Amino acid sequence: MSANVAEELPELHFAGGLPGFPDVRRFVLVRLGDEHSPFSVLRSLDDGPDIAPAVEFVVTHPSLFFPDYEPEIDDDIAARLELKSADDALLLVIVTVADPVAASTANLLGPIVVNRHTRAAAQAVLGNSGYATREALVPHR
Amino acid sequence: MLVLTRRANQSIMIGSDVVVTVLEVRGDQVRIGIDAPRSVSVHREEVFRELEAANRAAASPEAGALEDLTALRPPPKRP
Repeated sequence: MSANVAEELPELHFAGGLPGFPDVRRFVLVRLGDEHSPFSVLRSLDDGPDIAPAVEFVVTHPSLFFPDYEPEIDDDIAARLELKSADDALLLVIVTVADPVAASTANLLGPIVVNRHTRAAAQAVLGNSGYATREALVPHR
Repeated sequence: MLVLTRRANQSIMIGSDVVVTVLEVRGDQVRIGIDAPRSVSVHREEVFRELEAANRAAASPEAGALEDLTALRPPPKRP
């Protein structure tokens, strides 16, 4: 893993934490693997007594695996992250890594929305969207 | 748990800036309106719990699995 830490992007700040991890607010986004890898690791920077060791999530750009994915980001999140237009937002989805990895899934119900300019981030909750927390990355044949 | 009885169009205040209003009662369904500051996130509980469980399941995968994952590529773009 340490080989991938070389290319750190600026810190992301989740003011409200994430569901299940309310106290983890600061993360860095680190590429996972070589430059062709579609995956990154979102690694927590807050280490307190309750959250040591660091929490990590594998994330990917949903457009790579789910070209038809068009979540509707509600006004509350847009306001909280100070998003003025759709171009301000970077969308990521959390991957649940499975064994074998081809069975890995992505959480399309709760995409991560990032303001590219301020790096403020939040996990949206798309109730009533029809999206699931475990959508197969690789379609079944 | 605090239990209160309310009718349609009556409200409950939580703290000084969250107002929960019963809008309509029809059969076994209740429509509820919530006024809260933007800093307070409001979710259907079952959806929020599902997301909590999904995040816990996804958190901190094993290093070996991560190595295998880097070989996984998106399917080629459809024409």
